[in-house]
Amino acid sequence: MKKLMNSACLALLLSGVPALANDSVLAEIAKPEQWAIQTGDYANTRYSTLDKINKDNVKDLRVAWTFSTGVLRGHEGSPLVIGDIMYVHTPFPNNVYALDLNDNGKILWRYQPQQDPNVIAVMCCDTVNRGVAYADGLILLHQADTTLVALDAKTGEVKWSVKTGDPAIGETNTATVMPVKDKVIVGVSGGEYGVRGRVTAYSLADGKEVWKAWSTGPDEELLVDPEKTTHLGKPVGKDSSLSSWEGDQWKIGGGTTWGWYSYDPELNLIYYGTGNPSTWNPAQRPGDNKWSMTIMARDADTGVARWFYQMTPHDEWDYDGVNEMILTNQTIDGQERKLLTHFDRNGLAYTLDRESGELLVAEKYDPAVNWTTGVDMDPNSETYGRPAVVAEYSTDQNGEDTNTTGVCPAALGTKDQQPAAFSPKTNLFYVPTNHVCMDYEPFRVAYSAGQPYVGATLSMYPAPNSHGGMGNFIAWDNVKGEIKWSIPEQFSVWSGALATAGNVVFYGTLEGYLKAVDAETGDELYKFKTPSGVIGNIMTYEHGGKQYIGVLSGVGGWAGIGLAAGLTNPNDGLGAVGGYASLSQYTELGGQLTVFELPG
Amino acid sequence: MTSKTTASLMAICVACAAGAITGTALAQTDQTPPAQTGAGAAAAVSGDAQQPAADPTAGAAAPAAPQEEDLEVVEQGGKLVLPNGQDITPDHMENGRWYTTEGIPTFKIAEDGTIDYAAFSGYRRYSAECHVCHGPDGEGSTYAPALKNSVLKLDYYEFQEIVASGKQEVNTAANLVMPAFGTNRNVWCYIDDIYVYLLARGAGDLPRGRPAKKESKSDEFAAQEDSCMSG
Repeated sequence: MKKLMNSACLALLLSGVPALANDSVLAEIAKPEQWAIQTGDYANTRYSTLDKINKDNVKDLRVAWTFSTGVLRGHEGSPLVIGDIMYVHTPFPNNVYALDLNDNGKILWRYQPQQDPNVIAVMCCDTVNRGVAYADGLILLHQADTTLVALDAKTGEVKWSVKTGDPAIGETNTATVMPVKDKVIVGVSGGEYGVRGRVTAYSLADGKEVWKAWSTGPDEELLVDPEKTTHLGKPVGKDSSLSSWEGDQWKIGGGTTWGWYSYDPELNLIYYGTGNPSTWNPAQRPGDNKWSMTIMARDADTGVARWFYQMTPHDEWDYDGVNEMILTNQTIDGQERKLLTHFDRNGLAYTLDRESGELLVAEKYDPAVNWTTGVDMDPNSETYGRPAVVAEYSTDQNGEDTNTTGVCPAALGTKDQQPAAFSPKTNLFYVPTNHVCMDYEPFRVAYSAGQPYVGATLSMYPAPNSHGGMGNFIAWDNVKGEIKWSIPEQFSVWSGALATAGNVVFYGTLEGYLKAVDAETGDELYKFKTPSGVIGNIMTYEHGGKQYIGVLSGVGGWAGIGLAAGLTNPNDGLGAVGGYASLSQYTELGGQLTVFELPG
Repeated sequence: MTSKTTASLMAICVACAAGAITGTALAQTDQTPPAQTGAGAAAAVSGDAQQPAADPTAGAAAPAAPQEEDLEVVEQGGKLVLPNGQDITPDHMENGRWYTTEGIPTFKIAEDGTIDYAAFSGYRRYSAECHVCHGPDGEGSTYAPALKNSVLKLDYYEFQEIVASGKQEVNTAANLVMPAFGTNRNVWCYIDDIYVYLLARGAGDLPRGRPAKKESKSDEFAAQEDSCMSG
């Protein structure tokens, strides 16, 4: 079906009939030699059918060429390749370079936006940006200051721009955007500033707002139908969000939308997750705080919600639900199902039916996870779908001004935004993870617009009684809910993975290594140390009949804050501190693209 | 009991790299008119962040050399003195906070490691408000300076000024911007606590992580906290 649609669209394009963006994006994604969307495809699989680089020859990989971005700070996301042009973005000031692959990466055009540097001051956790998007001959950049700009892909000329938020009240952007049909889907960052989360669709033709769906608030602003929008198969009912908050806290209640977006063209649904409720002090916001921490399925045309699933009601640990939703068609109990797989910050990996929102699997994807004993999977239970919270690790039950110790995972989650990959050849997910625990002490905090609104003190440290490292790179079976294999890493794995038909899986490490492992066994096949730590996502493309692997280096982001000086475990007692590796012993700032090839 | 200690300042290379940039710029604000530091020099966010407020200790302070190894607390005539000349010996307590003879906030750590409540409060507020840029325990991040070092170079009033007004260093090499916190009660009600916590970290008396033992919160401290936070 998808293949049919793709060739039909391609034919449309070739015949010169203007196509909807949906079609242009589908057509570009369908060309395996390109990397046309940050997530690899609409389904967020980060899988490439290219196989010239494979598990037998990947050991011979070498550097083909490099490009310095001219910007320090954390480099997330990856370049795109459309036709003969590679598009490279940078962290703030969010420059974009168009490089000519036919002329050794000669710079065809550059876009250097002028942004008020004051926006840097309200960006929690570094000035990262997770890359540009392509649709209908436009390069779409969502800048740190929430300016969404559409550039002519051939010339870099600004076609239109629109402001999607207000940095003066802490609204910023770090995410990429997702073009769907004649719209572009846009989120917002700022959960640590009391920003009220929402997703907005803008017209791809001129940047005009089409619909806006808030994460919290009255039904008409949530874009829900109280009778038809469901949560685990039941209608959400009237005032589903308002009734889960005390007073007006929902207005500064977070639920921001800074993660990845996926889209199913057949169901015409977009999928994403919402972030933490504000503040981090749970005592200041009694209730379930809907619809923070929620997987959302919405109609791409209207924004109206089909179904929600709230993973962490009344969050007490900052386990944002924004990580990617990976869409696959797989067999469960002999039945072909349309699945959605999500590796949440809270340490649970969820497998749902993406059509109905039915919860199929919810299991820990790091054995260290201890705040919950698991999710209630009994549809007849009153607590169906809720995680059972372990009292010892409940920062809410322990209360304000009490230090809750030994909570796993830490606030950065078992996985943060760094996206996983899925290979249909192995039916496995390849997941970059954190292996870090924390102490968490919530306390009273006052809100002022545009100022941090946090309300908790955290200490983080490598998971105790384990291998001592702060990360793992794992292969996950989303049907059984089991880890297939796990590679211990010294630091959190903060790079997005890539799976290929060559049965190779690639990821980057914070020390700066690009690593290639066997998709079946996890055996290391190749590694190369790039100039700086990798928090970007690995991509691949083919040009002139040759397959390349590309990765942005440039340490920073949340990893650069927490790990630069190394972590300490306050529970080890005095004198034991400083015993863990600090990232600063391994790498330095620097923004560089490294492109790999096979000899010959 | 405080002790003469050398802070191990070179242990954190990445953080120091970011710190050194800002550290040097800070030293320049004392020595070099902004006009001479070039177009890319630090620009104040608002008002006069580069003009240290007039205060008795600033004049007496010898400009700190940018060399990190010079940054240590020394004992002079029975007093503990920062590289910038500021005395940090605790002398008396007022409203639950320790001060020097000159009325500058400071920390006090008992023989058994028990830390005064204000410094503990500073640990908590630092970890909530400052940590997301400046890293855990005042150690710095990949892009923001290690404040446990900065407080050894700045005097108390310069520290206050920067926190209140913010600071920018935006040029071809750096995009460092610190917001102004003067109107943020979560910071400003605890500014002295954060300061003395960082002093304790920088002077090397307080190890990394959550302070193990602390004095309990006094009624005077609680009363002042309540009035400030509800104000």
